[in-house]
Amino acid sequence: MIVLAQKKVLLIFLVAKVFRIIFYIIFLFFLVKGSQTIAGYNSTQTIFFFLSFMVVDTTAQFFFREVYRFRPLIVSGDFDLILTKPMNSLFRVLMGGADVIDLITLPPLYLATYYVGGLLNPTLLGTLSYLLLLFNGLLLATALHIAVISLGIITLEIDNTIMIYRDISAMGKFPVDIYKEPLKGFLTFLVPVAVMMTFPAKAFLGLLGFSGIIISFSLAAIFMFISLKFWNYALKQYTSASS
Amino acid sequence: MGNEEDKTIIVEHLIKNFEVTEKSPGIIGGISSIFAPKKKTVKALKGISFSIKKGELVGFIGPNGAGKTTTLKVLSGLLFPTAGFIQVAGFDPWDRKPDFLKKISLVMGQKNQLWWDLPAIETFELNRVIYEIPKKKYEESLNELTSLLEVKKIMNIQVRRLSLGQRMRLELVAALLHKPEVLFLDEPTIGLDVVAQQKMRDFIFEYNNKRKATIILTSHNMDDLIDLAKRVIVIDRGEILFDGYLQELINRFAKEKIIKVYLEKAPDIKKLESIGEVRRFNYPQAIISVPREAAAMAASELLQNFPVADLTIEEESIDAIIRRVFRGEMTKKDNE
Amino acid sequence: MNKYIQVFKISFAQEFAYRLNFIMWRVRNVTQILVVFFLWDTIFSVQGRELFGYTRDKIITYVFGLIFVKAFVLSAKAQDVAGDIARGDIINYLLKPLNYFKYWLTRDISSKVLNLIFASIEFSILYLILKPPFYFQENLLTILLFLVSIGIAMYIFFLILFIVSAIPFWAPEMGWGGHFLVTVILVEFLSGSLFPLDILPVSLQNILNFTPFPYLVFFPIQVYLGKITGLLLFKGIAISLVWIVFLWLIMNKIWEKGLKAYQAYGR
Repeated sequence: MIVLAQKKVLLIFLVAKVFRIIFYIIFLFFLVKGSQTIAGYNSTQTIFFFLSFMVVDTTAQFFFREVYRFRPLIVSGDFDLILTKPMNSLFRVLMGGADVIDLITLPPLYLATYYVGGLLNPTLLGTLSYLLLLFNGLLLATALHIAVISLGIITLEIDNTIMIYRDISAMGKFPVDIYKEPLKGFLTFLVPVAVMMTFPAKAFLGLLGFSGIIISFSLAAIFMFISLKFWNYALKQYTSASS
Repeated sequence: MGNEEDKTIIVEHLIKNFEVTEKSPGIIGGISSIFAPKKKTVKALKGISFSIKKGELVGFIGPNGAGKTTTLKVLSGLLFPTAGFIQVAGFDPWDRKPDFLKKISLVMGQKNQLWWDLPAIETFELNRVIYEIPKKKYEESLNELTSLLEVKKIMNIQVRRLSLGQRMRLELVAALLHKPEVLFLDEPTIGLDVVAQQKMRDFIFEYNNKRKATIILTSHNMDDLIDLAKRVIVIDRGEILFDGYLQELINRFAKEKIIKVYLEKAPDIKKLESIGEVRRFNYPQAIISVPREAAAMAASELLQNFPVADLTIEEESIDAIIRRVFRGEMTKKDNE
Repeated sequence: MNKYIQVFKISFAQEFAYRLNFIMWRVRNVTQILVVFFLWDTIFSVQGRELFGYTRDKIITYVFGLIFVKAFVLSAKAQDVAGDIARGDIINYLLKPLNYFKYWLTRDISSKVLNLIFASIEFSILYLILKPPFYFQENLLTILLFLVSIGIAMYIFFLILFIVSAIPFWAPEMGWGGHFLVTVILVEFLSGSLFPLDILPVSLQNILNFTPFPYLVFFPIQVYLGKITGLLLFKGIAISLVWIVFLWLIMNKIWEKGLKAYQAYGR
């Protein structure tokens, strides 16, 4: 049941988010205009990196809105109710809160990315690897969200963890080449923001070697595996504690 | 009319309207409510008038939404009156002058002023500074209140660790440290257990007695009113239906008397019903209500025609009377 | 037994909540600064480069200066005001002989002091790790004027916050939304927190100078860097003072109306 009064509120957020994207693009435009390149990338490319980041980040947020409501769920004990229902509890807790309003922001974002991408003379291979790696990035995001939730079950501390995740992934707004080691390594292998957001755009531009693609898929598989194991572990801890 | 000077609270033709946006259900209604919001005027108070003398303790009764809390909020300066004249302790509440605020206190069940994560004593200290209470007077006041309300042992514990009853008592200390001459209590016993309720009532009685404080009390709980308020004001739908002594309310509106009869042998129910309304029948006891004037007659009829072991005639309970008030059975016409 | 361990854990988490929140807030601040730092570091990695009127020293100083300026100007406890109104908690304060505005200003200052302490620690740590070329201002008068502009900036932000926080008087649900739009998004971009405003073309800068935002972060740092001096400097300070007066008047008017319209709900 859609309560439109609440939608009025979300409208303001929508406006704010649109402003934010527009402001950022203006910033990037003038920034690169003045400095000619950033880490070797020109203006259009930099904006493309930014938009790719937005695509992964916003799409993930659309799916995983429910994660932000997780803490009250645990504290109130309603999580137990979810565990008893036949539907897979992980699915419910992760994706149960997809918000219609987010659907409004996504299509224009995709269109903008498509447009800017078009300006860069992509190859077929480039486009294909881009889409594949974007999907791969979403898988990684999923894995990371699962890990955050599992941590939340054990420590009851989820809001701050999620915000830290958001802050770290925000580093993906720019191509990770701008970061020095060890930060760059951290962002590639530990919290694979680079893989989620920079690699797809790089592949699009034909700059990602075959090894890069292999790393991407392997990391996604590894992270998924670990986080699912973690989830099961967390559930076991939880159910044994709350009898 | 009485000497104007010793009227602490004067309210004349107080009107308070609220502008509320109506939200129609459904999607179309929702969309139209964004672009062309339908505003409705809710008339919370429709021109009420009353006055209260210094040191009086008055009870406000009325169903939910009657306007009791709204009245208290206007009197304490929280709400801006749409029209009318209001004077409390010589001030216009809406001006919210510091001298006015130092003289009053509003205590509402759910709105806590104690800082949640700190011990109550910290809030007390804060209030001492806010109300500019001289140190010596503060200590006297603190001592007195904490003894009376039995909170000396808990004032150094984080507020969030305490039970509702304990918190309410500490809230009361915080609200009274500055020795207000006018006290507004909104449902002070709500959520408390029976023992705590009685303690609260005893305290309010003491405060009224010792400090000669003017107190307005709103409550749903009959025992609060019976115990404390000699004078009551009945409010419903923004209008005052009755303003006078509780006893008068009872006398005027207790339409029926209750006859309790103990029978030696099981009677014919139909015959019992011919005497009056059988409220309850649990052999050997039967409870019958009859119109006031007919009570004596009904009693003698029962004694004559039925195997009565014992019989008593009682007043209708105040509870029942006031429940009738709440159900809206009393209207302005009854008052004329 | 396990049940009580769980209860204990929840209580413990709750207990710890505020300290943890604060530390997280600082960690997040550092993460955000790191992004900006690396961005500019990369851009200026070419030796002797001068861009938008900045040398490497000055731009890095700008970024590091952000740590302090943001901690002082933009960290405001008064963010809770909108919540106070929406939940009805403001009632407790309206009943007391206490100036609500001054109350929050005081709480703000105490929170800023705490933030400043942490900002100093973060600054020192980051300085040691990243070894940036920081430009230390020597001119005492400039430093003084910098402090003055910071004081003004703090007051301007506080007023903006109070104005935006008045929305819940009419629409309690909108409080956080309006706050987010203005104090997070608009301030982030238009105050110079993300980038020094002079990367924008002069035409855009001129438009921005009609708003109070540049005076929050960009202007004070410019003063510190010595990039704005003499007549322009004093003109800037004068304009920011005018903003204070203007915002103050608006704030008073809005709050007057807001309090009258307020329905003081929440029992």
